[in-house]
Amino acid sequence: MFGQLLIAGIVHGLIIGLAALAVTLVFGVARFPNAAAGDTMTVGAYAGFAAHRASGSLLLAGGAAVVAAGLVSLLGYLLVFRPLARRPVAALLVAAIGVAFLIRAVLGLIFGHQQHVFQVPLAWPIEVMGIRIPPMDITLAAVAACALAAAFGVLHLTSIGRQMRAVADDPDLARVSGIRPLRVMVALWLLAGAAAGVAGLMLGVKTVVSPEMGWEGLLTAFAAAILGGIGSPIGAVAAGLLLGVAQEISTPIVGFTYKIALAFAVMLAVLLVRPRGLFGRVEGVR
Amino acid sequence: MEAYLVAIAIIGAIYVLLALGLTVQYGLTGLVNFGHVGFFAIGAYASALISMQGVPLVLSFVCAAAIAALVAWPIGLVALRLRDDYFAVVTLGFSETVRLTITSEKWLTNGVQGIPGVPRAFAGLGVGMPGALATLGAIALVCLLAALMLRRIAGSPFGRVIEAIRDNEDALRALGKDPARFKIQVLALGAALAGVAGAFYAHYITYLSPDQFIPLVTFYVWMAMIMGGVGRVSGAVVGALLLMLFLEGTRFLRDLAPDLISAVDMASVRLGAVGLALILFTLFRPQGLVGDYTRR
Repeated sequence: MFGQLLIAGIVHGLIIGLAALAVTLVFGVARFPNAAAGDTMTVGAYAGFAAHRASGSLLLAGGAAVVAAGLVSLLGYLLVFRPLARRPVAALLVAAIGVAFLIRAVLGLIFGHQQHVFQVPLAWPIEVMGIRIPPMDITLAAVAACALAAAFGVLHLTSIGRQMRAVADDPDLARVSGIRPLRVMVALWLLAGAAAGVAGLMLGVKTVVSPEMGWEGLLTAFAAAILGGIGSPIGAVAAGLLLGVAQEISTPIVGFTYKIALAFAVMLAVLLVRPRGLFGRVEGVR
Repeated sequence: MEAYLVAIAIIGAIYVLLALGLTVQYGLTGLVNFGHVGFFAIGAYASALISMQGVPLVLSFVCAAAIAALVAWPIGLVALRLRDDYFAVVTLGFSETVRLTITSEKWLTNGVQGIPGVPRAFAGLGVGMPGALATLGAIALVCLLAALMLRRIAGSPFGRVIEAIRDNEDALRALGKDPARFKIQVLALGAALAGVAGAFYAHYITYLSPDQFIPLVTFYVWMAMIMGGVGRVSGAVVGALLLMLFLEGTRFLRDLAPDLISAVDMASVRLGAVGLALILFTLFRPQGLVGDYTRR
């Protein structure tokens, strides 16, 4: 039973980790918690679902999710968040909620409100040491690992990734070093959108696709980003895994509905006790 | 027709109360409260549950305000220590936790089935027009008192301090004032107003369920406040009226042509319109329609 929950928690945690990666990248560089991240996930799920229904290929679905969510994320930046960059953070917060609602409304109008299920072939679970693992979980874990590897590759091995981290560390220093902010921001929002898109697709395959799915996952993603330390990609993934496992293991004890409340409690505790999270740098959150 | 007008006037007045609560928190003090609906829900359930034990409504209303303010206390203690953006996330999480708790704790709240048969306000006057008019009169009076109180606060030394918290907290601290105490008081005051609004809602609608308290309600109030003009009492009132016009207008449109668009699609259109309004107002008209033009 425990092993079973642990496996479910790891898959769930990878999804949270990817979503938290999207949140933490934007939070670290653009410096506000993007409430539209959840609905960007939903975009990925629906794009993936449509591509999968048309072609039957999960690979194509992944491509569609990455492209669609990345583009929506970039559009949100260019049309809304960029013009607001010099305004108080409250303006960005309210606008992000607006973007989230708008995305959810458009998806609801296009795809309807009924839940969709990915038609994936059923397969017998593989039994390892008494723990039954569905093959789909292995596929999803592999997808998440590839997506994370790609994201970290971009962040650590490419020039634009280095620039991103430089802007995250010290925007003014980055600017005087000749880093062009617009290029960095475009890459950043594309990357964050793509990560959210993959997370949404995975969540859709694992559960169901509905217009509310991303919004419902948003608080958990915020909690993981804060627990991991804002602006720390590694922290986001580690915290996502921790939260995912904690949520799955606590479900038999506290019940299904308190999953989000658990995330909220963790977030509060971290903010009050150790605001820089597990891996974050020292920064004023107060 | 009169019954319909009275009904939307009552709901509109409930939104005025909510918007006044948010005005004192965000408009005057700059606290980004994204969990307003949580206090609204607490007020509604508190008043409903207490009055169903046979307690007179006047007392249950007072309890609703007191309990909502009491819950705001720990949130205020957290707020002292957090930056705006973190505070927004925490309050949003708070309101969702309230909703989940209502959904889960069936022994108290009857879960998703909800609480039917909450005692109607002014039940002695009957279900029809006289009772509704009396409710409207009562809530209008409360709105007026709240608006006068806020006006008074805005012009008082207390008001100057909380506006200073909004504009420059460090400078205020340098002058020897402690923002902490003021923030907690402001949060509790706004929460109490939301709690009273919740109590009116409970005893007017007479049925409560957790899905009435989704975050969308919080952002209806934000939309009202931003449209009306942030930081002004008149802005809260004008904004709530505009919000009602919008909510009832979209319903009316659908009733005119029910075949054209389904109910769920209309819900999407409404959600999208709220989103678009939040985006466009913050982008192009942050001061709202009757906002303070002397200041950004």
